[in-house]
Amino acid sequence: MTTLHMNKDSELARFLNKLGKGDNIAECLTCGACNSRCTWFDGQGGPMPRQMVRMAALGLDDQLIKSGMLWDCLICNRCTEVCPMGITMDVVVRKARSLAGADDQIPVDVKKGIENRLELGDVNGLTKEDFVETVEWVSEEFVDEVEDDGAEIPYDRAGSKFLYLPNPRELGINLLHLTAMAKLFYATGETWTMSSSHTDVTNWGYFVGKDDIAQRMALMVVEPAEALNIETLVLSECGHGYHVLKHILPQVIGREPKFTVMSIPELVVEYAKKGVLKFDPSVHPYKIAYHDPCNIARKSGGYDAPRQLLSLCCDGVVELNPSREDGVCCGGGGGILQDSTSKEKRMITGRPKADQMKATGLAHIATACLSCHRQLGEISTHFELGMKVDTVASLASACLILNK
Amino acid sequence: MKDTSPEILILGGGVAGMSAALALSHRDILVHLVEKTDRLGGNAASWACMATEVCQNCGACLSQEMADLIKKTASITTHLNTEIKTLERSDQGMTAVLSGGQTIFASKAIIATGFSPFDAARIPSYHSDASERIVTTAELNTLIREDRLSDMLGDSPKIAFLQCVGSRDRKAGRDYCSQVCCKVSMRHAKKLRHLMPDADISLFYMDLQIMGKEARSAARDLAGEISLIQGVPAEIAAQKNTGKLTMVTEDPATLARKSMDFDLVVLSVGMVPPEKSQETFETLGMSPNPWGFFNTDTADPGPDVVVAGCAKSPKDILGARQEGQIAAATVLKALNLTDDSNTGIAVLGDGPDAAAIAATVSAQGYPSYLFGRGEDLAPGIEDLSAARMLSVDGTVGNFSIFHEINGRKTTLNCGAIISAPAPETLAHTKSVQGTVSLANYAKMPPADTPDNAVILLDYFGPETKAAARQALTAAKAARDAGKTVTIVMNKMLVHGPTGQQLYDRARKAGVCFLRYGDPEDVTITSGDKGFVITMQETTLPGHTLAVDAKALVVPDAIAASPMFSELSRLLHLGLDMEGFMQPANVRHRLVQSQRSGIFFAGPCHDDIDADDLNLEIQAILAALETGPLENGGNVSINEKKCAKCLTCYRVCPHGAIILNEKSRPQIESAACFACQACVSNCPAYAIESSGMANAELADQAEKGRTLVLACERSAALAAGTVSDGLPDNTNLVSIPCACRISTDMILKALINGAQRVIISGCHDGNCRSGEGPAIAAESVARVAHLPGMEKGRVSWQPAAANEPVLFSRIVSTP
Ligand code: SF4
Ligand code: SF4
Ligand code: SF4
Ligand code: SF4
Ligand code: SF4
Repeated sequence: MTTLHMNKDSELARFLNKLGKGDNIAECLTCGACNSRCTWFDGQGGPMPRQMVRMAALGLDDQLIKSGMLWDCLICNRCTEVCPMGITMDVVVRKARSLAGADDQIPVDVKKGIENRLELGDVNGLTKEDFVETVEWVSEEFVDEVEDDGAEIPYDRAGSKFLYLPNPRELGINLLHLTAMAKLFYATGETWTMSSSHTDVTNWGYFVGKDDIAQRMALMVVEPAEALNIETLVLSECGHGYHVLKHILPQVIGREPKFTVMSIPELVVEYAKKGVLKFDPSVHPYKIAYHDPCNIARKSGGYDAPRQLLSLCCDGVVELNPSREDGVCCGGGGGILQDSTSKEKRMITGRPKADQMKATGLAHIATACLSCHRQLGEISTHFELGMKVDTVASLASACLILNK
Repeated sequence: MKDTSPEILILGGGVAGMSAALALSHRDILVHLVEKTDRLGGNAASWACMATEVCQNCGACLSQEMADLIKKTASITTHLNTEIKTLERSDQGMTAVLSGGQTIFASKAIIATGFSPFDAARIPSYHSDASERIVTTAELNTLIREDRLSDMLGDSPKIAFLQCVGSRDRKAGRDYCSQVCCKVSMRHAKKLRHLMPDADISLFYMDLQIMGKEARSAARDLAGEISLIQGVPAEIAAQKNTGKLTMVTEDPATLARKSMDFDLVVLSVGMVPPEKSQETFETLGMSPNPWGFFNTDTADPGPDVVVAGCAKSPKDILGARQEGQIAAATVLKALNLTDDSNTGIAVLGDGPDAAAIAATVSAQGYPSYLFGRGEDLAPGIEDLSAARMLSVDGTVGNFSIFHEINGRKTTLNCGAIISAPAPETLAHTKSVQGTVSLANYAKMPPADTPDNAVILLDYFGPETKAAARQALTAAKAARDAGKTVTIVMNKMLVHGPTGQQLYDRARKAGVCFLRYGDPEDVTITSGDKGFVITMQETTLPGHTLAVDAKALVVPDAIAASPMFSELSRLLHLGLDMEGFMQPANVRHRLVQSQRSGIFFAGPCHDDIDADDLNLEIQAILAALETGPLENGGNVSINEKKCAKCLTCYRVCPHGAIILNEKSRPQIESAACFACQACVSNCPAYAIESSGMANAELADQAEKGRTLVLACERSAALAAGTVSDGLPDNTNLVSIPCACRISTDMILKALINGAQRVIISGCHDGNCRSGEGPAIAAESVARVAHLPGMEKGRVSWQPAAANEPVLFSRIVSTP
């Protein structure tokens, strides 16, 4: 048993205990509510949320780092949703992750991704040339798909109404998704574009808690978008991207951006409400469960648009139990999905989600985040749930009625 | 309105409202008691009796008794199913139109609209609607009352209590402690263990509010009986297939999360203002504080309105009853209806509290005498610190305290006595040299306090409300002055309306709080640089935490003083289980005693802080103003028959019999509680009452039938609410107290042919006259053990007023 020495002047304690109401973790009541709510439930290993808060509050930085809890935490905030003092776990954990002493715990893949992003603009290392080549090629396919020679996937077109910010996977292993999104933009009849200078909705600086990196990455999106003079930045389906670029952007970059931000499901719902976009739900003649990505739902309040869109595209949306504010993380949050060595751990963190999915008795589930999408897919296979996993926007695209 | 017959409007027929109404009725003031539901009694009326082998002093049964008394009181007009439609206030009084259409002119109003239990559905993560086995405290009461628990759960269920549901939650705007739920859950846990001895009970708490003598003894009894676990789960998952309720908690043994399955989860919900109370207050032109209560400076009831009970702030039944009485006295005073015959009051005891009490009563115009040392006595107090009390005789309004002063024996006459001796201060801290007393620390200017101080609570003696508040206030002030302060505690008592806010502010200011589970988890070493406190911190299992301190601040631990037993002997009043004054009997708590006119105040009888003490003095004066809580009766000694054996004088549990100038026993009706212990014990049958004589009672027995002699303030009230009535072969006779029973009487009833004789009365510890249950049990046992007596033919079966289901079972079970 180690003897710990309290140090309320530690780097972490100084930062966290100084924040205003809500993030001031010195205010922790030690009520224990958070302990009962961790996404790990009774799974082996994983964080004890109250211990993390207390270690941070008491200045036990080293102990907290040593505990190994920091990178087991999915920063899903499921625990502190119920905190009577409004303490937010993701702030505590990310700040602790950012301590120099914790650097060697950053998963190798995340480190690499951050380097790629900062150097090349894309976590997967996609260069500008690669981008142009890929987009032009996908654009040709797209013309065939919509049978309209005037159709295209534009990039770097200044003055467009929308700027679409894809997930890196849409320019890598999941090109079909990009086509599907293009179809939705096309159907709105509005001007839209992509940008060759940024390909990436992700912000792994957020995962490592380093504010300077998160800011640089966000500015890599914001500045070119402002240069293109677009009206609205449209985010691909990405949980933490949504949280960073929509919910806390002014905090991250220290100012308001000169455009509005929405996610692709939000955009599509808006145009569906206007009657511009129409869907044929008989394409998906089944009930579908919806998984709330923590970063979009609990952490940013984005509960409704994905559900509304799904209800237009399927035979009805079924809630997981619990969902919304109390929703269970897919088990891949906080950067662990991005760590290629995490599979075993993710099947522990994913078990509660698997139980929820199974309890629906359904064969389909959708979500609004490509990371969740991947994790849910792996869960479905691992736990033999036989559930097909889709993203909300791709389902919408698949049943879009195009007026020719 | 006319000065001659002021009428008072009381809004709310719960405990506080009823208590105010009854107190006013003692002074024949006309009262309109307006209640929006269809029955009197408030929340308390639907609560279960918590008695195990003994009464647990919850006070719920009192609400039935008060409701019953109100029905019999002509000066109180009760308006059920009624709300106030409009209210106009003017200098002359107020005009209220009731929802039934009636118009009332009232001089003053007392608002006693009570509380609602917090709606657990508002915290979705409990999923309280997912299973009928997730219940609130209120629902648990119903299950107990209706005797449905064992059918539902079997013999050895696993049960969890979750504390602070809907309380102490700043995010939800309820940053207050509901004050009672810890106590309620501890009682419930004891009751459930009593009903189901194999039940495995866990109580999850944030800070167990062990405040007051009742809670202290409950906590002591529960140690080892149930698991007390710090940290409250916030989510319950009901398993579809098994019905089990799963919660995840931290397992200190494995340092990991574990899930625990339960058969029943009780949500210990807090108190919130009643639904629609905002509308009520608008109608009345009153503005509560943001919580919806009237317990802080920001709330304003207006000049002609007094707020009492839980409408003011969350409190327990006894506290609400006390406030009702105080409200009644406040109204009397405002109407200049106070009794001017201010009797002298003797305050007994050394120390600052006794002196403060004497000062307050003196300032209220009562001649005041202090038998005890106090510094800087206010003028007007007669200082009798040099006196040694020899005996106390007499009754309310006319006590004589025989004492010796400077070698001279003399008698002081006074109308009332307040017993308020100071407890002993323990020098437990001897084992650790160089500690600073919390009282001294709190007196230092914050900037002069030691640089790095640790305040250690609950360690050398039980934490008191006053010490907790003092620690929080002083620590925050020192912290604001730039000092490092750590409070090491087992629990934080967040007493009073703003206790939680004070605790919240202290944490926000950066006072550090460390928690230990057991004093054994803390080690103190001192060296030349100060102290090192090494501890197992509850929230960091598996580690040892070391804290350095330049100063170690410790509250004075208090203990029973020899003065307590001395006064107990002089006043003929018992002590409680910890050797402090005043048994925990709800009939006389909070400040009264089994003897009219003798009161308790201050830490001699309870964990009392300055606010409480202030209320206690008000309550005592209110009791003197409005008369005792319960009415005396029509009992007198027929001198012609009296043999002067003085049996009555000895047995009277209320000290109501004096020896008059002819050395004959005489009943002082102002002090008599009409328990009729004297009637049943007088060997010459010389004591007469308006009730039945011994033989008459026995004559109520009929051949082949069951005679039930039921105490009028417990079993007889329960009998009155048995839903399908009593079995046909029952003769129910109401008696004033179980102490009315004698062996003789039972035998006569049997001779008269009764097939069974059942004596039913208050639970042990709940008897207004103290020994009724013991006397009845003993009388029954004597008869039951006679040779040839069939088993079950005579029995003693306690049942409280709120136990109709139990009572019905008692009389129907052959
Ligand atoms: S994984 Fe989620 S629920 Fe668990 S500690 Fe981290 S933020 Fe809280
Ligand atoms: S829920 Fe909040 S206040 Fe309670 S222990 Fe966790 S962090 Fe502390
Ligand atoms: S007898 Fe009355 S005070 Fe005692 S436990 Fe029962 S209800 Fe409570
Ligand atoms: S701490 Fe206060 S609010 Fe919480 S359960 Fe105990 S008495 Fe109720
Ligand atoms: S009736 Fe009871 S209180 Fe009254 S004098 Fe007799 S014994 Fe005392």
